[in-house]
Amino acid sequence: MKKILLVLLAVFFALTSVFAAAQQETAPVQKVVLGSQPVAITFWHSASDDAGPLVDKYVQEFNAKNTYQITVKAIYQGQYSDATTLMKTILSAENYKELPDIMQLDATGKLDYYNSGKAFTIDNAVKYFNDDIIGGYLAGALGNWQFSGAQLGLPFATSTTLTYYNKNALKAAGWDRGPDTFADIIQLSKDMKAKGITMATYGTVPNTPSLANWLGQLGSYVVNNSNGADAKATKLECIANGALKTFLTEWKAMYDAGALQNQSLSTNQFVAGEVAVFTGSSSSISNLLSKVGGKFEVGASTFLRVNSSAQYGATVSGSCLVMFDSDDALRKAATWEFIKYMTGESVQADFAIGTGYTPGFKAAVENQNYKNLLATTPQFAVAPQQLAKTPASMRSVTVGPTVDFYYAIQNEVSDMLKKGTTVDATVASMDTNLQALLNNYLRMNP
Amino acid sequence: MRGVVAMKTGATLKHRQRVKTRKKVFLLLLPILLFAAVFIYYPFVRTVVNSFSLVNAKGIIKGFAGLDNYAYTYGRKDFLPALRHTLTIAAVNVPITLFITISLALLANKKRRLSPVYETMFTLPMSVSMSAACMIFKSMFSPSVGFINYFFGLKLGWYESQETALSAVLILTIWMSIGFDFLLMLSALRAIPDQIIEATRVDGINPFRRIFKVQIPLISPTIFYVLCTNLVLAMMTSAPMIIIMGVSSAASATTTLMSMMYQSGFSSSDYGLAAVLSISAFLLTLGFTILSFVFERKKVHYQ
Amino acid sequence: MMKRKTRTLIQDSIVSTMAIGFGVILIFPLIYCLAGAFKTSYEFLTPTLLPGSFTYLDNFKEALVKGNLLRYTVNSFIIALFGTSIRLVFSILAAFAFAYYDFKFKNLCFFLILGTMMIPADVLLATNYLTVSRLHLLNSYVGVMVVSFVSGSQMFMLRQRFMSVPKDMREAAQIDGYGDISYMVNVLIPICKPVITTLFVHSFITLWNAYLWPLIVTASSPNMRTIMVGITKLNSWEDENYQLVLAGVCISLIPSMILFIIMRRNMRRGGMDGALVG
Repeated sequence: MKKILLVLLAVFFALTSVFAAAQQETAPVQKVVLGSQPVAITFWHSASDDAGPLVDKYVQEFNAKNTYQITVKAIYQGQYSDATTLMKTILSAENYKELPDIMQLDATGKLDYYNSGKAFTIDNAVKYFNDDIIGGYLAGALGNWQFSGAQLGLPFATSTTLTYYNKNALKAAGWDRGPDTFADIIQLSKDMKAKGITMATYGTVPNTPSLANWLGQLGSYVVNNSNGADAKATKLECIANGALKTFLTEWKAMYDAGALQNQSLSTNQFVAGEVAVFTGSSSSISNLLSKVGGKFEVGASTFLRVNSSAQYGATVSGSCLVMFDSDDALRKAATWEFIKYMTGESVQADFAIGTGYTPGFKAAVENQNYKNLLATTPQFAVAPQQLAKTPASMRSVTVGPTVDFYYAIQNEVSDMLKKGTTVDATVASMDTNLQALLNNYLRMNP
Repeated sequence: MRGVVAMKTGATLKHRQRVKTRKKVFLLLLPILLFAAVFIYYPFVRTVVNSFSLVNAKGIIKGFAGLDNYAYTYGRKDFLPALRHTLTIAAVNVPITLFITISLALLANKKRRLSPVYETMFTLPMSVSMSAACMIFKSMFSPSVGFINYFFGLKLGWYESQETALSAVLILTIWMSIGFDFLLMLSALRAIPDQIIEATRVDGINPFRRIFKVQIPLISPTIFYVLCTNLVLAMMTSAPMIIIMGVSSAASATTTLMSMMYQSGFSSSDYGLAAVLSISAFLLTLGFTILSFVFERKKVHYQ
Repeated sequence: MMKRKTRTLIQDSIVSTMAIGFGVILIFPLIYCLAGAFKTSYEFLTPTLLPGSFTYLDNFKEALVKGNLLRYTVNSFIIALFGTSIRLVFSILAAFAFAYYDFKFKNLCFFLILGTMMIPADVLLATNYLTVSRLHLLNSYVGVMVVSFVSGSQMFMLRQRFMSVPKDMREAAQIDGYGDISYMVNVLIPICKPVITTLFVHSFITLWNAYLWPLIVTASSPNMRTIMVGITKLNSWEDENYQLVLAGVCISLIPSMILFIIMRRNMRRGGMDGALVG
């Protein structure tokens, strides 16, 4: 009797597992045909100032022109950090129906999105729709939106960091090109002083992104796992290889020579003619040029290099578009159409022209309107050139305690300059403090 | 009938009255306490739990952490500076605001022909919110395009330099509290019955004596209120650090407990640290407030 | 006699001039804000106070359009008006209990309410979101307001004010047959009108400018957003657009200024005026 029961049970389990497996295999991919019925999707963005009306315009155009009966509802959700807070709050309350279908995200929201459990990554989507579009995008622009081997989002607003300079001031000091290295800044400062030009030469305070660039030029990462892009960063990776020390030594030399102001100088100070060389985002070009008007000629060159043996390049920043899994095939399909449109040729070219961001889509770089712009305003061309020069291995930093990292780096470097701490002591102190931040994050998020 | 029974003994009457009072007090306090319990203390209890827990970046408790969060927070390099800045803001803000607003209220007390003009001027800052004020001050004190440096021929970095940032924040926070506090002081001064002031005049008491011996003691409940609320507000300061100092290279010169809570805790998804800092600031502020109330028993004069 | 009058006149004019001098310093940031809002982005780079002309209105137009400020103003108004009213009623009730009754746990209750001021809203955000969502109040004005019904500082101010009202006034009212509520409505509130008005204006302005909580609660209802959301929309990602932001701030100040001017008389009037008669 018992045996029979056991056999019956075994048969039952076997059957159910086979049934379950079969169900899994044949499951979803219910064919939904886009356009067969109206569908509405929600798009969260943080587009403010000049970008705001442009994004509204693209959404309106998409709603009017798409043949699939898709209606996109665009909602401005405050600045990036506020939108990320909103996303985190909804996730912690597990109130997933409040999530959008597609959202604009900057680097600080990347980890939260990845950990959300509701991410519908680009990799997933490519498989799901069997629509490999990845090849259409610039590798450099895509790289910033990868984590742990997955392509999380597609580049929407792509920018990089450039060197802007006051051509008139430099000419007066006998320079007919922009500065390229820290040594150039020191030389320029000497030349300006010799010519009696009182304008400050250069000023900025290193923070996470700029340190990642300068260490990247030296072939080093700030933290391990490719600056936290491949997996969670667990330790610093710029101490043992001496990269941090090299950078700090060169940085201090600039300060000691009186060529560097230890302050983040704003666009306004550059425009007001208070500083000759300025490190700024490539996306502010149009704003910068219109503000300067005809007061002086603005030169743009690649991001400063630590020394002449360093590589060229700077990582990409800006924002991307990510998708959430709505468990609704029709909405997913509509979102896929919309994300392709927003990151595709016409929008990317138009957005680049209107703001100064660099297109992240290859065809947009070749777009005739965009090419016309580059021809008439050469400053716009530096960013795409730099993007091409930047080695693929160069990555921006992804760590849990983003804000703390940013301030810690700023403070440590400031202390070195203002309080006269030695380079070695600063390296040691950064090692301890940044590591402590990483450890604490790992303690909370093993 | 029931009334007759109640009247029989004084004790029952008293008891009844006590029950009635209790009922009344309960009804009076119910709304505010109910909402405080649901929307402030219930979440705050969860914050207290968080402070002893391992909380991951999604805000989910993953285990018991003992005092690890406390040890980590208090051991951080930026904790002591944040505490110092917070206390400095409180220590500077409270007396200066009191002094300015009492002086202005005394100046404006008597009704003159131009009273409406300057009274409005003194109170107008009140109509500006903290975040709007931050934007205005940031622009006004901008090192290059700001009016202040230009007007006074200065070359100060204000919010952009380590040396001046905290003072610049103090200017802003003091300015923010003047309008409202002045108004309270003025209406308290004007609430002093004219007969009292008239009596001092008849007695030939000189104006300074009158201010210190009559007017200030009579408005002491308001002064006490302004002192306490300014103390609490100063301890809770975070908006200027987030809105103005957020991207400044001098940010570390002004970090307060609350801005650290926001930036290193809340925005960085470190809920353990956020909880520890909130609780610390809460206890510290509550301690100060209770001390002020002990002081109130002795000094504050109610009619 | 004549001499004394002239002396007072001279004194008054000296004091008035001084006061106006201080006043100008105090409202300078507002003057600066208004003047800056008329500047072109180019003019803003010269640090002079006044713009080239006060007829350049593009910043205001741009702020209104880019920031959708008109629509948001209506929302802010609804939230600030109802939120403030409920908050004030709750505070008056509680302050009355604290000022006139002795009861068990009085101090505890008092400090519990006062303590609400000492807890930063950010740590409450996630839990309150969950609560509001369970109450099905997401994307509603009530959901936006509901967390701001408690104001420790208001309750405290009112308690201070109520305690300064002479005790015999209540006894007199009791003899006249006034119960608690009618005493509150007919005697206490009229006496304390200036303070109540001041608190109303103050709290209105605070709620008017709420930002993060309204943003989060109305995630799917952009039409319920407050004016501060519109103002952040004027800030660019990587640049400083002072003139535009200042224009936005000016617009956001208009309603609170209007309220302020309407309420001005009530706020300043001495409190005891008609009261001593009773």
